[in-house]
Amino acid sequence: MGDALKAQEVGTLRPDGNVGTRTKRYGGLERASGAQKYAADLDFPEALQVAIVTIPVGCADILGVDTSEAEAMPGVVGVLTAADLPSPMPRFGVSHKDRPVMADGRVNFYGEPVAAVAALTQEQADAAARAVTVDYRELPGVYTLDAALAPDAHLVQDPSDPTKRAGDPLRETNVIEEQTIAWGDLTEQEAKAALVVEDSYSYPMMTQFPIEPLAVIAEPTDAGGLTVYTPVQHPYLMQRIVAGLIGKTLTQVHVIAPDPGGGFGGKQIPKYEPLMAFLALKLDRTVRLTLNLAETTTAIRRAGAKVHARTGFSAEGDILFHHVVIDYQIGAYADVAPRVMTKGSYVGGGPYRLPACRIEARAVLTNTPVSTAMRGYGAPQISWATESQITDGARRLGLDPARVRLRNLVDNGEEFVQGEFAGKADGEWKEAVVKAMELAGWDDPLPPNRGRGIAVGIKSSATSGLSQSLVRLLYDGSAIVYAGTSDMGQGARTIWAQTVADELGVPVGKVQVISGDTDLVPFDLQTSASRSTVFMGTAVLRACRDVRRQVREMYAERVGADPGDIDDEPGALLTPEGAVTLDEAARIGLGALRGEVLGQGTCRLEGRKGHPLGGDASFYEFNCTISEVELDRGTGQYVITRHVSVSDVGTELNPIQVVAQEEGGAIMGLGQADMEQLVFDEHGRLLNASAIDYRVPTYKDVPLELLTGSVENHDGPGPYGSKGMSEGPILCTGAALGAAVTAAAGVKVTDLPLTAERIWRATRAAAEGAIA
Amino acid sequence: MSVGTESLVTVTATINGEPRTFTVPGHRTLLDALRSELGLTGTKSSCTEGECGACTVMLDGHAVNSCLVLAAEVDGHEVLTVEGVSVDGGTDLQQAFLEHGAVQCGFCIPGQVMSAEYLLSRNPDPSVQEIRDAMSGNLCRCASYNRIVEAVRQTATKRVSTRG
Amino acid sequence: MVTYYKAHAVADALEVLGRTDVEAKALLGGTDLLVGLGDRLDSAPGVVVDLKGLADGEPLAVTESGVRIGLTVTMADLLADPTVSTWYPALAQAAGEVGSVAIRNRATLVGNICNASPACDTAPALLVHGAQVRIASAAGERVVPISEFFVGPRATTCARDELVTAVELPRPVPGTGSAFQRLTRRWGVDLATVSVAAAVHGDGRIQLGLGAVAPTPLLVDVPAGTDLTDRAALDPVLDEVLAVATPISDIRAGADYRAAMVRELAARTLRAALDSTRRTQA
Repeated sequence: MGDALKAQEVGTLRPDGNVGTRTKRYGGLERASGAQKYAADLDFPEALQVAIVTIPVGCADILGVDTSEAEAMPGVVGVLTAADLPSPMPRFGVSHKDRPVMADGRVNFYGEPVAAVAALTQEQADAAARAVTVDYRELPGVYTLDAALAPDAHLVQDPSDPTKRAGDPLRETNVIEEQTIAWGDLTEQEAKAALVVEDSYSYPMMTQFPIEPLAVIAEPTDAGGLTVYTPVQHPYLMQRIVAGLIGKTLTQVHVIAPDPGGGFGGKQIPKYEPLMAFLALKLDRTVRLTLNLAETTTAIRRAGAKVHARTGFSAEGDILFHHVVIDYQIGAYADVAPRVMTKGSYVGGGPYRLPACRIEARAVLTNTPVSTAMRGYGAPQISWATESQITDGARRLGLDPARVRLRNLVDNGEEFVQGEFAGKADGEWKEAVVKAMELAGWDDPLPPNRGRGIAVGIKSSATSGLSQSLVRLLYDGSAIVYAGTSDMGQGARTIWAQTVADELGVPVGKVQVISGDTDLVPFDLQTSASRSTVFMGTAVLRACRDVRRQVREMYAERVGADPGDIDDEPGALLTPEGAVTLDEAARIGLGALRGEVLGQGTCRLEGRKGHPLGGDASFYEFNCTISEVELDRGTGQYVITRHVSVSDVGTELNPIQVVAQEEGGAIMGLGQADMEQLVFDEHGRLLNASAIDYRVPTYKDVPLELLTGSVENHDGPGPYGSKGMSEGPILCTGAALGAAVTAAAGVKVTDLPLTAERIWRATRAAAEGAIA
Repeated sequence: MSVGTESLVTVTATINGEPRTFTVPGHRTLLDALRSELGLTGTKSSCTEGECGACTVMLDGHAVNSCLVLAAEVDGHEVLTVEGVSVDGGTDLQQAFLEHGAVQCGFCIPGQVMSAEYLLSRNPDPSVQEIRDAMSGNLCRCASYNRIVEAVRQTATKRVSTRG
Repeated sequence: MVTYYKAHAVADALEVLGRTDVEAKALLGGTDLLVGLGDRLDSAPGVVVDLKGLADGEPLAVTESGVRIGLTVTMADLLADPTVSTWYPALAQAAGEVGSVAIRNRATLVGNICNASPACDTAPALLVHGAQVRIASAAGERVVPISEFFVGPRATTCARDELVTAVELPRPVPGTGSAFQRLTRRWGVDLATVSVAAAVHGDGRIQLGLGAVAPTPLLVDVPAGTDLTDRAALDPVLDEVLAVATPISDIRAGADYRAAMVRELAARTLRAALDSTRRTQA
């Protein structure tokens, strides 16, 4: 990958080091004692509180906004409407700059801001927001994929608007982007097939549900710029977008990103920050918006999908061809959803050796809240279909579904996507399957009403990236590392502290980690795609090595030695006279003026033009999941009696954090498989924004036995042979659970979530079919 | 009573062992009063409808959702928040959370700590199933559930043996 | 703005609740009333009347003839009481399913029934236990059987100038068994999709209390002498007695699934109630 570390550079674990041990979480005690300041905990005594004005439909033309009553209400300091914004309406986005700061004459999704009210107290702001009168005419919005793809469908983005989709051949449709990846001859392979499985699947819209709701504070600076406090995963993207919208330089927009209370992809891209920036500038006051969980659920979600698949098998269980057509239901604006589609569908054939494959994918606009990144990106949607097809094929051929997978899985270095932009296995993936089978007791017989299912998943990590880090070794032997990665729960700060401790020979408790502040910390492209261990980890490692090089040179000069005679290793210089600890060598080198040693490291990976992923994957996450359920035939309810998740992690840098992320990903995946879904009505209104009706797993929904495992071959591109691992356990959970339910119930359910009601319906339909 | 003229209410309560007096509107929840009036931001606000448990505190020794208690209701009562149960360097329970990898994003953790302390005050040696039952009102989206269960079990075992 | 008023006696509470110049709401545990109160101040009550400090409020009282549950008695109090769990297993099981530990520490039985959700967890149990509801007003006191208490979704026979002061449960005749079961969308804290309480009374009566399958919780009788151990024989009997259920489709379940589940749970709960009579006899 690009200029990432060469094999000799990545280093090996120190037997007495911190990396590779269960080092306690950096900042963990502050979190456990309530001392950690999340965005909503920051104190802004002078700030105005903000309420957002919305309308109770998902698609409407705005005929008028009357703020006069609201503006006269007690405590109200100002109201922001589209009329206050520059014309044309400023828009933002990543691949498409299509999202307006607030509704631009038309509301395109439920919850889209029409106005914002700032008042002295939240109660006053809320009351005034209710007093804003919005005159609107509801339009026949498209709230489902079927509606959006109908021939006469309402177009979510007006094709006559020259600012949007100019020159786009798809502009007369709701398809914002499409991609087809194909190789081999489907017809030729189908002629050889002993069995063809064909089915349709659906994957619902879901929400990230970070337990910390969204919060934004925008504070005008004396220099005419802004400080924006927001718990985002990508502070530098936020800085660039806000600066661009308000016409300021990057130096004038200071983004402070307190560690998020969970992100899961939902806190990557700006949502309310641009609006808050304009509001703060209009009023020249600090403004504060704090949402609750239900409001956050309305604002961020994952794309749903519908999939149709045909898969051919030989009688022995070779997969001969796979043809999959997937439509992703993105929202009213692009956000990152086109990339969710391209990255998700790229791995639509699964990690298999396929003689012929065709993957047709579309990202479809609908009048629903804007979908964005979520753990697994676009892979879980397509894996649900592809892996269910493999299970079905094995079942119908009377073959063991685990061994069918082992038979077809690619070996290390072998292509699972063929053609110009081939994708190759970069790990010993079969080892994960074998390990999962062992942990699950795959071949052990099961009592009645129990079923077991297996699935595998892959996902491409980042295909381009840039992470920069600074490390300061201070005179007293303590160290500070600056790393722009957002620590949203994955434990990034801990890994940097462990790395610096080992590379410089500093006790881990003497390493401070600075993140989340664009004024203090050098650039990091983003915290996404499980990239940080590899990209920022490499930058930190290089910054440490830069410190060591400088110490070596300073020491040599000070003692009058030839630098060529001195070598360095983690924590020490090796001189002809023997080893000198790095901090001692640094003190000698720094001399009487003291000071410090400042090292810097960069990790850069350029993308590749035309590649469906935007470039070659820096690494792949691979996971094998086995689920076991006990079914209650009378109700359709089931207990997950055992769940096994095994990922190829390269090297465990912190085994307890690996376990926590593996379990967390698995449980989140199970929630998405068995209970989670966003439900909209015929007006595009979200019916279950509240945590009362958007169900996520609780303690009692955890599998009775939850077993995790890692494959460690030290073959990743990151420090010490590591790979990212936080998304692996969610990639194929749906298909594994679905296979277990099918094994127990004798019926196949093709729609997620696998609710008791759905299983009951399927078993009843099967029973009635058998009678008829 | 003269309804409509006395919407502000003055509350005197023992908060983390200290007598505190504050004045709030009648609708103000204990959660908001702790965070805004008393600066005790360790108690977290998330769902504000009693579903997530992030705002769990103890009221007269009983775990409650502070989003579903009016500040006015605690007049004359005792409230214990995460700040009140914490000690420098962390309690045995908080340290157990760290040892078992239970703290990820951390936002739910103060509420988890309060529910766990409440459970241990009622049931000093709970089984895994009892912990799951007792804490299922505390959501953790990082899904550290098994990590937390291990931490609570370890703490219980240590406390029982120290006492024993 | 909401005014908080702490009533010191039943009469005092009745006076404020009865006033016509202001919208007053009774506050017990607050676990229903306070949900999102700060977000909807425009529709919020003008006065919240806290009933937890009534000098003449009744506690949980056990007598030879039954149990009286005063208005401040919480779900946690019920669960901790050995008489309640011995005499009224269905109620104890239902109280244990209400919300989370933190909710049960606040939520009261009286508040739960006065909220009158069609899915109210404790109502089916109270129905089969033959509960009586004591309602006070300035004019005196009246007693209403729980089967007449609920009049619609979120509506009860308790008028705005009245106050439920206690729920009374008669002591079960010897040989009575009861049980409660409910269906939820997940195993952790949840609202009931369907709930059923069953009692097999020592005098031969067999009753079912049904939740979330009609605008109000329902009480139905199963013919005495029905063999609860023979599912094939029981199902047609249940089809007949459960015909009064009129479940709806909503975000939690479809009507047909609810209808099927109320039968499934009825059969299971009856069996569990029968088994509990055997346990008490043993």
